[in-house]
Amino acid sequence: MRFDINVNGRRQSVDVAPETPLLWVLRDDLQLTGTKFGCGVAQCGACTVHVNGKPTRACTTPISSVGSAAITTIEGLSPDGTHPLQRAWIAEDVPQCGYCQSGQIMSAAALLANTPSPSDAQIDTAMRGNICRCGTYVRIRAAIHRAAEAGR
Amino acid sequence: MTNEIDRRAFIRVAASTTGALAVGVLTTRDVARAARRAAPPSVLSAFVEVGEDGTVRIIAKNPEIGSGVKTSLPILIAEELDVDWSAVRVVQADYAQKYGDQFTGGSTAIWEHWTPLRQAGAAARTLLITAAAARWNVNADTCSTERGAVFHTSSGRRLPYGDLAADAAKLPAPTTVRLKDASQFRVIGTRVPVVDASEIVTGRARYGLDASLPGMLIACVARGPFGAKVVSFDAAPALAISGVERVIKIDAGRDALGRVEGVAVLARSTWAAMQGRRRLRVTWSDAPDDASSVNLERQFRAALASPGTVVHRDGDVASALASSARTIDAVYEVPFLAHVPMEPVHYLADVRADRAEMWGSTQAPGSVAQHVAALTGLKPEAITVHLNRSGGGFGRRLMADYAAEAAFLSKEAQRPVKVVWTREDDVQHDYYRPAGHHRLRAGLSATGTVTAWSHHLANTSRYAFAKNGRPPEQSEMYAEDFPVGCVPSTLVEYTLVPSAVPAGAWRSTLHSSNAFAVQSFIDELAHAAGRDPAAFRLELLGPPRELKYTGHGGPVLDTGRFAAVIKKVVEQSGWPHAPTAGRAWGIAAHFTFGSYAAEAVEVSVQNGVIRVHRVLAAIDCGTVVNLSGAEAQVQGGIIDGLSAALFGEVTVDKGIVSQSNFSDYRLLRIDEVPRIDVHFIPSAVAPKGLGEPPVPPVAPAVANAIFAATGRRIRRLPLQKNFAASVAG
Repeated sequence: MRFDINVNGRRQSVDVAPETPLLWVLRDDLQLTGTKFGCGVAQCGACTVHVNGKPTRACTTPISSVGSAAITTIEGLSPDGTHPLQRAWIAEDVPQCGYCQSGQIMSAAALLANTPSPSDAQIDTAMRGNICRCGTYVRIRAAIHRAAEAGR
Repeated sequence: MTNEIDRRAFIRVAASTTGALAVGVLTTRDVARAARRAAPPSVLSAFVEVGEDGTVRIIAKNPEIGSGVKTSLPILIAEELDVDWSAVRVVQADYAQKYGDQFTGGSTAIWEHWTPLRQAGAAARTLLITAAAARWNVNADTCSTERGAVFHTSSGRRLPYGDLAADAAKLPAPTTVRLKDASQFRVIGTRVPVVDASEIVTGRARYGLDASLPGMLIACVARGPFGAKVVSFDAAPALAISGVERVIKIDAGRDALGRVEGVAVLARSTWAAMQGRRRLRVTWSDAPDDASSVNLERQFRAALASPGTVVHRDGDVASALASSARTIDAVYEVPFLAHVPMEPVHYLADVRADRAEMWGSTQAPGSVAQHVAALTGLKPEAITVHLNRSGGGFGRRLMADYAAEAAFLSKEAQRPVKVVWTREDDVQHDYYRPAGHHRLRAGLSATGTVTAWSHHLANTSRYAFAKNGRPPEQSEMYAEDFPVGCVPSTLVEYTLVPSAVPAGAWRSTLHSSNAFAVQSFIDELAHAAGRDPAAFRLELLGPPRELKYTGHGGPVLDTGRFAAVIKKVVEQSGWPHAPTAGRAWGIAAHFTFGSYAAEAVEVSVQNGVIRVHRVLAAIDCGTVVNLSGAEAQVQGGIIDGLSAALFGEVTVDKGIVSQSNFSDYRLLRIDEVPRIDVHFIPSAVAPKGLGEPPVPPVAPAVANAIFAATGRRIRRLPLQKNFAASVAG
């Protein structure tokens, strides 16, 4: 079935089964592989994208539910990779394996968009859906605070 | 201080095709391997290239799984070459014989490459100086280097490396190289960010699961209970799914390649492959009795009632126990643990009649190549294994079962095939840290010193499962682990309980579970003796001296360095602490892979919920190469240890794992992470392991803190569930 979706400001046409999760459309059909597969059941957050600005688990979002909503993936977060969170992630040297970090950054970006100076408790609430198996959480928290500081 | 070592045999110099100076070395592992084969080492690769335009290209030879080797190994070369880190371009090597051994595991990367890779950098620097000295017609001893240029100090002349590369490439390999004194380090010991950071934060970094080829099929494999065979299957419902092209049986049993018997659904998209597999109807034979946790636990208990294989013996434990003022006896129980790397295992294979290419995430590309060779009959030189960043490893990617699946399916389908494992596949078909029971007995003298120590482990052995011909105890019980050597009479025993549940190496191998038993039990002894647990450990270690340690990370265990990490956490945490109601500190320490780690943790228990508030770690791993990366390994290792200690448990019923995803195989989340302080003991000695040593002290430190806070000694992992059970019981 044909779906016209709006990804990173571009209109894209895909032909997939309607129940296909957005994750596999992004990865298999659009080659946007920055969005990662971690669990398939919205438990780990590795596949987090923004749908109309809202952090959304792409692995449990059927393509048929997306409509013409604006989808933003890690590739579209900033034109040149200089979003304050991307800078902060490098400054705090957050990644170890790096695999979960696209999802972490997308969750954090949605948090900062609504809460420019989050408290630790607000960070906990916004980020507890994102697992980091390497255990970079200490630096993730520091990077979010750093990005918030930069945005002030 | 100079460090001159004859490396003639192991250093090679060449001009690259672009005219750059290229220098290669052999690592000690490569030399040892060549010696074992009684053959000269293979052609040497270039690990560093200096281009005529001044660019410095450094090869990252080992797979990057998150332990930071893609950054830290090139640092060793850059340091001795004397170039600005910002001028270095790090390039990931593919797997190739010319690079020697390429393997990420056992916390060995830095310690095995510390000397050879610095020598590669120093050799290149020596050649560049020689070329400059010839150009200026001066003695090389009067020249120096700094930030990518050679200087002639007295005349003030300067030549950048790029101008000298072509001349240097024509020179013979230096007979000796001089390594820097630690005081001259400009990069080593500083904080260097991960080399791929900007690719990672923009989603451009490529992982194995991101690989694709034109015409590729995606495969999802239905795998049965452990030890079971396919009795029959109906492919029709799977083939009815749009996009599904083939259903192929993997008729493997569990073969030497570690593949599981299964039925693969091959489709044009990942989703179609997943849906097709869901529709597949497979009937399996029954799993054997030794593939159920309940049966295994019964056997562990029975095994501990009889003597085991003696792994180590000092003195006469039986009579020392009999003559001691008090004896303490306890059984500790540990479950199977899964690795759950964030990127599920997978592999992409393109097997042709005359060659094969493999893409995927691995810690052991050599093993991938061997598996492909065994399946296809292709010669090693016809097999290419591409390397990319891996989404974690933790020991799971030492195995190549999934790569073998991909190669087999590609060969059968005559198409490129990417095998994709779901998280459920991953949790349910792992090679688990073995489950087992430990019985510990100790004798205390009237004054509270330990006079006898007996440790007997019964578990399912990794070596036994692998059928590799090595004694099953060797992968499970380490003969000279503390407190062996510190107690007059010691006995270490092992009993194998064979099982069809796959066993593998989990970050820090069995040290993570053995240290739980040993360091918890030492805490029991301290309390029994009425002593402070930290002081008791220091006393047990005794005066600073070197004890023989023939295991991985040896040849010695230095009790002084061991004591120093304990003293550091004592000092930093403000030990001893008066426990308040439901809140207290615990301590534990362990020696693994050549490094010493002590951790003090502050834990509270409220309404049965264990919460870890602080972890204070002191590590002596010798010289720290990349301070940022090293700290990250310790922070991550502690969080890994906490997840395992509090929640980690895999149970098996009739060959089927009861857990399936992160919902029932819990990992720590950000709101559960304590404050973590990491202290490295300043050291000028050669570095040892760091990826794994922070893990083992975590579980016992938490268990010891729970005891201090509540008076309850939890002797069974995971702690959260078993604490609740102990309260309920």
